[in-house]
Amino acid sequence: MSMVSKRILKEVDRLRQDPVPGIVAEPIEDNIRYFSVRMNGPNDSPYADGCFTLELYLPDEYPMLPPKVRFLTKMYHPNIDKLGRICLDILKDKWSPALQIRTVLLSIQALLSAPNPDDPLANDVAEQWKTDEKKAIETAVKWTALYAERVVRNDVAKRE
Amino acid sequence: MDEDYDDYEYSEDESVVSISSSANSHQGHARTRATAAAAAAASQATSASQSQAVAQTQSQGQYSADFGYDEDEDEDFFGDDNDFDRAMGARPTKKAWAVDFKVYDPDGLRVTQKDTIDRMVPVLAVSRDTTTLLLRCYLWREEPLVEDFIADPERTLAKSGLSVHPAASRIESGNDEFTCEICYTSGAEEEYLSLSCSHSFCTDCYATYASGKIREGESWRIRCPAPKCKTLLGEESARLLLAKHKNVLERYEDNLTRSFVNDLDSFTWCPAPNCQYAIECLVPRSAMTTVIPTVNCKCGKAFCFGCKVDDHMPAPCYLVEKWQQKCKDDSETANWLKANTKECTKCKSTIEKNGGCNHMTCRECQYHFCWVCMGPWDEHGQQFYACNRFNEDSSKNARDSVSKSRAMLERYLHYYTRYNNHEQSVKLARQLLATTEKNMEQMQREMTLSWIEVQFLSDAVDVLSVCRTTLKWSYVLAFYMSADNQKIIFENNQSDLEMATEQLNELVENPIGQWSIEEIKRKIIDKSTYVKSRWETLLSDTSLGLQEGRWQFEC
Repeated sequence: MSMVSKRILKEVDRLRQDPVPGIVAEPIEDNIRYFSVRMNGPNDSPYADGCFTLELYLPDEYPMLPPKVRFLTKMYHPNIDKLGRICLDILKDKWSPALQIRTVLLSIQALLSAPNPDDPLANDVAEQWKTDEKKAIETAVKWTALYAERVVRNDVAKRE
Repeated sequence: MDEDYDDYEYSEDESVVSISSSANSHQGHARTRATAAAAAAASQATSASQSQAVAQTQSQGQYSADFGYDEDEDEDFFGDDNDFDRAMGARPTKKAWAVDFKVYDPDGLRVTQKDTIDRMVPVLAVSRDTTTLLLRCYLWREEPLVEDFIADPERTLAKSGLSVHPAASRIESGNDEFTCEICYTSGAEEEYLSLSCSHSFCTDCYATYASGKIREGESWRIRCPAPKCKTLLGEESARLLLAKHKNVLERYEDNLTRSFVNDLDSFTWCPAPNCQYAIECLVPRSAMTTVIPTVNCKCGKAFCFGCKVDDHMPAPCYLVEKWQQKCKDDSETANWLKANTKECTKCKSTIEKNGGCNHMTCRECQYHFCWVCMGPWDEHGQQFYACNRFNEDSSKNARDSVSKSRAMLERYLHYYTRYNNHEQSVKLARQLLATTEKNMEQMQREMTLSWIEVQFLSDAVDVLSVCRTTLKWSYVLAFYMSADNQKIIFENNQSDLEMATEQLNELVENPIGQWSIEEIKRKIIDKSTYVKSRWETLLSDTSLGLQEGRWQFEC
């Protein structure tokens, strides 16, 4: 147990000292296993203008078992369902104990840039994505504007 | 009977039945009380030598050897049977319906794996650990493995997550640079393990990781914990890692054996609860439309190797599956329809009469008819409630047309009722066994007979339940069989067995009655022998008929 806690402490430490660009992950005060996460949508995606909140929980068996992660912000994405659950291989059978919170969050961010409607979790969204991608992306942009916080970006193009 | 089947392909294997020829096999038949003691002694001798013979036949996959009872209880059968064959000048041959199979206990399975590995190590000329992994990856198919390996050893190894020069798996320490990517501990004092991929993790984390996978049921498919790394954890490394975790290691070995049986098509686990035996049977899946691979586990369970359903001879697997599906869909509804409804003679709608007079008006087609004779109503005139027109032509025709459309249903129910009846009887046979045991005790008490002298009763009950099971499935076969002369022959065989079985059942159910014990015993033993010979005839005939394609099946 102490060994595992040590790992968690070290991960938290590293996340603070060397944060992932566009992602903030912090344990909430009284529970080292429960993280509140804020993630910016990747630039080249329909989610670019939004900042999304997630919750991340490290089960007792972590790192032998993967962390549990879900979106708290409503998402229009074929691999994220209406409860915010995420369909991602490394959170299921491809989990490796050598993966970290950091890598998990990066993978989730990458999933936002590259939706995979062939392996859907939200069937209706995936259907839309496959039959009319343009309209699906429009909806995703609309939902982002509706439900996500607006990102304040430093780059010039966005400020204009 | 057996001569007819000498040209049957399975009869090549003639080494099978080498059962004791000791005299006295008809011991029960005409023995007087004066000779009882001597006979009992002799039968014990027979019993001993025959159980050896039975053990041998069992390993050769002889069905009748494990007719479902304990080995030394079927002496009467085999004694009689064999002497009969001998008297008829027949060579002892394998039964036409028997398939070859072998029963393995967990140790036997381990030995089989070990032997295969031992055989392959010198062929592939790689380490034992690597050979083992390769074999498992190739699902123990030696030929493709050797072919691939000779053609391109590097690719073959890589495909299986191995490398050509696997680093010797050993636990190391003393590396200042080492940091475990799982627990982030580092330092020279840390012990760590790495596979050929050289991803290293501390032994504690590695062991926890492997234990978790093993608890999930994994064995040789455990991979290196590094993300996306495909290198497999070999057995030597696993044993090294888990040396301190005895329970987990045991589980690991169990999982390995389990996956061996699951990975091979020619192996299956006995489906009986808590049975730990596995069965090997080489009948290919493609042959299972004509061969019914019934196997007998050492635990006493008789089941079909192909579909794992309890012994279903003489119906082949695909008919059994169809039948079970049909029964699930149809039987209750069909029974209810038959009991409660009739069909409109005009539009064939199914009608339930829930009250009122016999003047029926079909709601679908407005046809008026009489519920009693099914004829048109207008011919009835004023004779309400008193239909006496049963034999008039028009009502006869009407009934004919109804009966045609009902014939299918009737036909199904005909077979279903009989199937179901035998199924219930098999269950009742279990209760019968309890009363039989009581009867046997009573006989021992009242007639001062020895235990062995009353065994004929429980033997007879065993015969009954085996025959009833066969009869049950024979109705499934008959249901799908097209009507022709061949079917009539089959049905004759079936009814002979059925009649004999019923007679035996009656004898066994009430054995202590008007006859003396000798008479009863003789009657029951005679009848059992006869029933068994009918059973063999039916099975030999159907298994040959299926092979020859003698019957057409409508499904």
